[in-house]
Amino acid sequence: MQTKYKSVLLRGNLLIAAVLMALLAARTPTLTDTLLIWLAAAWLTITALLLTFDHRRPATLPWQLLPILLLAALLWGEPVRHVTWLWAWAILLMLPQPRWVLLLGSLLALSTWWPLRDLLGLEQWVLSGLLLAALMLLGLSRALDLRARRQSALRRARLVPGLPLWPGERLPGDLALERKRSLREGVHAELLLLHISRHRCWPLAQRLCRLTYRFEHCYQLDPTTLAALLTSRDREQADERRAQLWRSLEVRGPARAIPLRDLRSLDDERRALACQPAGLRVIEESADA
Amino acid sequence: MRDRHSSRLFALWHAGGALLLLGMALWLYLMGEYERIPLPAGLSLLMVVATLLDATREENSRLAAYLALICGYLLIAVELPRQSGLPALWVGLPPVLTLLLLPLAPAMLLNLALTPVWLALLGNGQLDGQMLLGYLSLVAVAALVPWEQARQHALLKATDPRDAECAATGRETLHELLASEVERAGMLGQPLGVLLMHLPQLDMAGEQFGHGARQALLDTLCQAVSSRSRDHDILGREGPGDFWLVMPDTSESGALLVQQRLDQALEQIPLMDTGPLEVRLRLCRPRAGESWPHFEQRLEAGSQSLADG
Repeated sequence: MQTKYKSVLLRGNLLIAAVLMALLAARTPTLTDTLLIWLAAAWLTITALLLTFDHRRPATLPWQLLPILLLAALLWGEPVRHVTWLWAWAILLMLPQPRWVLLLGSLLALSTWWPLRDLLGLEQWVLSGLLLAALMLLGLSRALDLRARRQSALRRARLVPGLPLWPGERLPGDLALERKRSLREGVHAELLLLHISRHRCWPLAQRLCRLTYRFEHCYQLDPTTLAALLTSRDREQADERRAQLWRSLEVRGPARAIPLRDLRSLDDERRALACQPAGLRVIEESADA
Repeated sequence: MRDRHSSRLFALWHAGGALLLLGMALWLYLMGEYERIPLPAGLSLLMVVATLLDATREENSRLAAYLALICGYLLIAVELPRQSGLPALWVGLPPVLTLLLLPLAPAMLLNLALTPVWLALLGNGQLDGQMLLGYLSLVAVAALVPWEQARQHALLKATDPRDAECAATGRETLHELLASEVERAGMLGQPLGVLLMHLPQLDMAGEQFGHGARQALLDTLCQAVSSRSRDHDILGREGPGDFWLVMPDTSESGALLVQQRLDQALEQIPLMDTGPLEVRLRLCRPRAGESWPHFEQRLEAGSQSLADG
């Protein structure tokens, strides 16, 4: 509950920032600058509209690179007008982002501070450079803590709070566990693989979670492949449930259902899925099993 | 461990700030502007205090952050107006410094409250619309980054199945998993057992012997239980000292056997500070046709009465 509340506040802040940027754009005389600031305002607005409480967004790198590039462009273009924004470098380093983006950010910060020398005079130029470096270090150290936590937690964290939708890294471990368990309990377990177009994948993943039982975990293997571990009492019930699930999912791409006891290698099955024509293909259980 | 690491970083940062201020004092001395020397020299002493505060405490100290902030503010307020350079450059420094040093809420409060002060100081008493707009947009945009960090923190907390302190499953995930196991047991027609555990020594261990003893107690329990249960049994932490072990497809006699074995094994584990590990155990099973919310209530009540002794 509280987390939803925070999301709303963040969205509000994004929109306020976008409005302020739009005001700034309206008061800027030169064309390139105006365009750049409008671009920043648009970025903030779209981010506010797209904001969701799940683990998907940080993955889209170009989206994160845009603020850095915009800031650099503004400071290169008209340093006198936008010099206030120089300090924003320190705070941009706090975002969770890959190492090379941090490095790129630092280099861009250096390259925007360097030309200020003529503008500021030696004493202020050196002072501002030292202060900026100190602030950037502070920003980095504040980011480090979260980075360490994220890296270890993301592998085992689910993708959306409250839904049994997990990252693909967990599937191999869960497969082994589920296979052992179904053999011991004498129940029928199978792996369902679905190939879907990129834009339908996310809504479908959430639908898949809602249509299966809560104990049947779903996984997003890559941006176009979903997997689910289905457990039923016996083969007949499994067939019935799978058919019903397939009807209500309305997927048009290729799909494969493999009984866990016949599953040899997950990679082979994924390759087979990629070559397969559209439609659900059920792998029959081998006779010796 | 991580806290200590980051607090050492902060100590280093404060030491760097002290050096910077000393360097500034030296520069002013070389330039012959003697009347400006006392401020940076005095502030560098404050930064030394902040460094010591950070270096001696385990968690990074709020007081040190405020000291650094005061230094920054005083320096900007006294030194910057007399610099003939660009006021637009320096007006951006205080809000960023505040956001980096303080948590989001107090930082935003300070930034908004101090808006007129910075604008008056740097604009020489006149209100500059362009500067005001620039300042406000910087404050609004810069706040987004700590927001995003807070969101990521909350997200990790909401999606990480593990408890923050030990290897057991966290409370929310435990309830979700248990609900799904009850559903599964119902659908597949299997029995299910939940073993309630309570560690009565936990609070006492924390108060008398410190964090290490408490952690050892938790780790020992998790280790002992997970080495004596099957892979798909779920050990979850219901409260600080309350644990539930969910055993799917386990008959009553099987569950009682597990309880007995665990009881014996846990009794024999000696711990450095607290002596033998003391654990209270009780088995709880869903009744025929019992709904999940009712079973959940019964488990919580059972856990409570176990804790009360």
